[in-house]
Amino acid sequence: MIEILFFGRLGDASEALRVELPDGVVDTDGLTIWLSAKNSFLAAELQKSGNRIAVNKTIIAQNKSLKRGDEIAYMSPLSGG
Amino acid sequence: MTATYLKICKQRFDPEAEHKAFREVINGAGAIVAFTGLVRGEGEDLTLTLSHYPDFTESQILEIAKTAETRWPITGWRILHRVGTMQAEEPIVFVATASRHRRDAFEAADFLMDYLKSEAAFWKSESVAGKTRWIEPRAQDITDKKRWAD
Repeated sequence: MIEILFFGRLGDASEALRVELPDGVVDTDGLTIWLSAKNSFLAAELQKSGNRIAVNKTIIAQNKSLKRGDEIAYMSPLSGG
Repeated sequence: MTATYLKICKQRFDPEAEHKAFREVINGAGAIVAFTGLVRGEGEDLTLTLSHYPDFTESQILEIAKTAETRWPITGWRILHRVGTMQAEEPIVFVATASRHRRDAFEAADFLMDYLKSEAAFWKSESVAGKTRWIEPRAQDITDKKRWAD
């Protein structure tokens, strides 16, 4: 299983998902494509600039391979304070 | 030893009580700078809702604070950040720093706030008269953060 979390605007587009790593998905780019195909509202949000992805609570700067047990977080632009 | 304290609060906090608690643990400091951020507005029909990414948000803030500790000789810092739903005039963030001399405390607090605004994992939405919208960093917030680039 992998756990996929969505924060900010992206959280409006999808609930958190707990799924088996989908067939053919081996990395974060693949996961983003898989999610976009499943949910058009999410697809539109994922295309916007400023989103960040974290794998196991570490922000990634480029495509990263995935394995069972990973926690992937999709985050819209941050706004604290 | 730096006096450190971080809390993500689900309930309203009291900035004066936090200031007092901080003052008690920063032995030897000659200066405290404390900043309180409030939900803007005056009795308006507005609510602000903040969410965070538990553990991730905390560890990110600890890293930011460690950076501040290496850049300025601060003897302590205290950070509280609200999550959940709050109304106009409620405190949303509290940042205090202490140092032997004032300049370091001023700069470290300013640095911490700039990073909290644009780099800490919080998401903010605003509801006015039943309409909700996400708030994202303003260009000014990004410019403010860039002041600290080496």
